[in-house]
Amino acid sequence: MLKIQDLHVHIEGKEILRGLDLELPDGEVHAIMGPNGSGKSTLAYTLAGREGYDVTQGRILFDDLDLTEMEPEERAREGVFLAFQYPVEIPGVVNANFLKSSVNALRKHRGEKELDAMEFLKLARQKLKLLKMNEELLSRPINVGFSGGEKKRNEIFQMGMLEPRLAVLDETDSGLDIDALKIVADGVNTLRGPGRSILLITHYQRLLDYIVPDKVHVMVAGRIVRSGGKELALELEARGYADVVKAAAAA
Amino acid sequence: MNIDAAINLPPIGNTPAWLAGVRQEAIERFRQTGFPTPRLEAWKFTNLSALAGTSFREASPAEVPELTRADIEPYRLTPECHLVVFVNGRFRADLSDLDRIPDGSRVVDLSQADEADLRLLTAVPTVEGDARARVLADLNTARMTGGAVVHLGRGAVLDPVQLLFVGRPEGEPMAFHLRNLIQAEAGSSATVLESYVSLGKGPYWTNAVTRVVVAPNAVLRHYKLQAEGIEAFHIAAISARLEQEASYAMFAASLGSRLARHEVDVDLAGERAEAKLSGAMLGRDAQHLDTTVRVEHSMPGGTSSQEFKSVVDDRAHTVFQGRIHVAPDAQKTDAQQVNRSLLLSPQANADAKPELIILADDVKCSHGATIGDLDEDAMFYLRARGLDVPEARAILIDAFVAELIEHIGGDEPRAYFRRAVDRWLAGGGRS
Ligand SMILES: Nc1ncnc2c1ncn2[C@@H]1O[C@H](COP(=O)(O)OP(=O)(O)OP(=O)(O)O)[C@@H](O)[C@H]1O
Ligand SMILES: [Mg+2]
Repeated sequence: MLKIQDLHVHIEGKEILRGLDLELPDGEVHAIMGPNGSGKSTLAYTLAGREGYDVTQGRILFDDLDLTEMEPEERAREGVFLAFQYPVEIPGVVNANFLKSSVNALRKHRGEKELDAMEFLKLARQKLKLLKMNEELLSRPINVGFSGGEKKRNEIFQMGMLEPRLAVLDETDSGLDIDALKIVADGVNTLRGPGRSILLITHYQRLLDYIVPDKVHVMVAGRIVRSGGKELALELEARGYADVVKAAAAA
Repeated sequence: MNIDAAINLPPIGNTPAWLAGVRQEAIERFRQTGFPTPRLEAWKFTNLSALAGTSFREASPAEVPELTRADIEPYRLTPECHLVVFVNGRFRADLSDLDRIPDGSRVVDLSQADEADLRLLTAVPTVEGDARARVLADLNTARMTGGAVVHLGRGAVLDPVQLLFVGRPEGEPMAFHLRNLIQAEAGSSATVLESYVSLGKGPYWTNAVTRVVVAPNAVLRHYKLQAEGIEAFHIAAISARLEQEASYAMFAASLGSRLARHEVDVDLAGERAEAKLSGAMLGRDAQHLDTTVRVEHSMPGGTSSQEFKSVVDDRAHTVFQGRIHVAPDAQKTDAQQVNRSLLLSPQANADAKPELIILADDVKCSHGATIGDLDEDAMFYLRARGLDVPEARAILIDAFVAELIEHIGGDEPRAYFRRAVDRWLAGGGRS
């Protein structure tokens, strides 16, 4: 599904990702952990195609597409979804209107019939219910005045509506209370399955109790320095990053 | 403009002698000063040389462009509204709908104005200003050929009235000098919409002057759509006097014309009067759009707000000049001003000049201005959800303007402006 090879990314001339390799097979869930500033969000933004993130070397293959050549909206239409670490507030743009355009942009690209207002509302209500979210959210401007947790849940709601093939969740668990964490995890788990791969960026082992990953990767200074099973997260939780950082420096 | 040709004054009804005198003086002032130039502070950002350099003719009363009700239907606020139509500066009874005006109120053409109307129409504005900067209103006084006289009787409710001004360019460029009066007597309430539109291509000049008087406890919602043709010049001056506890809301959308100036002078001349002034300028290509507002707090306890936004694309240029003047006696005044501009292209330009003159000590005044381009984070967020650049831009521009439209009282006027803005957005560079 996703193959990242020797990825180098510069922001404002500074190299942030420095030869990153990662393979995420179809249907799997991988977690990425790593110290602050190691480049996790940079990877997430690069996958989504943010301007200013210059890929100077390497490739990002999404099935047979090279993402590096594509505009953000083209990637989204192909099924790439980023749940933002810091969802953007957009005053004056009503959530429902925006999301309907978004859902229909993707459907159109796939050659499916666009949803009318009623069909959209029906689908939205169903997804909101799964996430135990209030319908009133639909008529509010995007993320404006939302609490930290509500913003994160709104991202998962959008993910549910868009049903991506590749979902990148950048610290979606941060700022969620215990109940919300479970709800969000359930939401992610229902999406789990063939045809869909998920990359979870997180600082907390706790999330991985609810969404059990197939693999855990550790990112340090713009590279994946270690990969392992779920138990790697437990080890990091117990011992911190000092060992992996040291090992990476020695390598 | 051939100034000498302007000396023969067209009659209005049976012009009384005093009015002939007023008009002579007005044309004299215009002759002496000529078109305002950027050397005048009030015209610093707006250069009228293209207007001054064009020679305009005035349509003779015999010229009656062939237009049907169907032609103007798309510009009508609602099928039910009271409607007064002017084509090329002249009243068109055949296109108007004025037979349901309730007793005690009046909506007529300037030619039917009575003595009292004419006195109000030609009174010198009470908001202080440089007389040399107002000579186009003088020219209007001398040349006025039509306009709406809207008189709301005591306690009358008239909702809504539309004044529709249609430019129908033909032959040599024409100038239309329109003079309107909106007089709301005590306790009355009305919505008045002025629409300036064009049927056909070609240059012309709308020079409109609108006088507004809002008597004690009257409520006037005054809206204006400036959607003139892209070769047109539009100069309009509104001056309003608000009496005790009068409430005046004015929203203007300016999106047509190659050069437009929307001037609003409001005098809060009675205690606890309230003025809510807002507007949106939407400019593209090489358009120049100017909004100049002067609010005078003459009496205590008044409230005023100015909220103006502009969206500027291509090489367009917008200007916002906003003055708040609080007289020494106008204690407990609350006056706010906000001006925000959104620049959509590197060549787009927005000038803003706030001016606060506060001579009373117990007042609440604030002003703020921002100029910026589209929020990059928001653009990326929308694109990351599958919207392409034109869609994402349209959504963000719309959100920027929508906030103002939301403030418009009444579903129908709101929908009317909504449609106008949508048409502009759909114009994607060209209109
Ligand atoms: N726009 C920018 N300009 C300059 N440096 C940047 C920019 N964005 C990110 N960086 C730098 O890139 C590095 C990686 O940042 P990134 O946000 O990817 O880290 P992260 O692993 O997501 O951290 P965290 O766990 O705190 O979220 C940091 O050193 C950061 O300062
Ligand atoms: Mg991060």
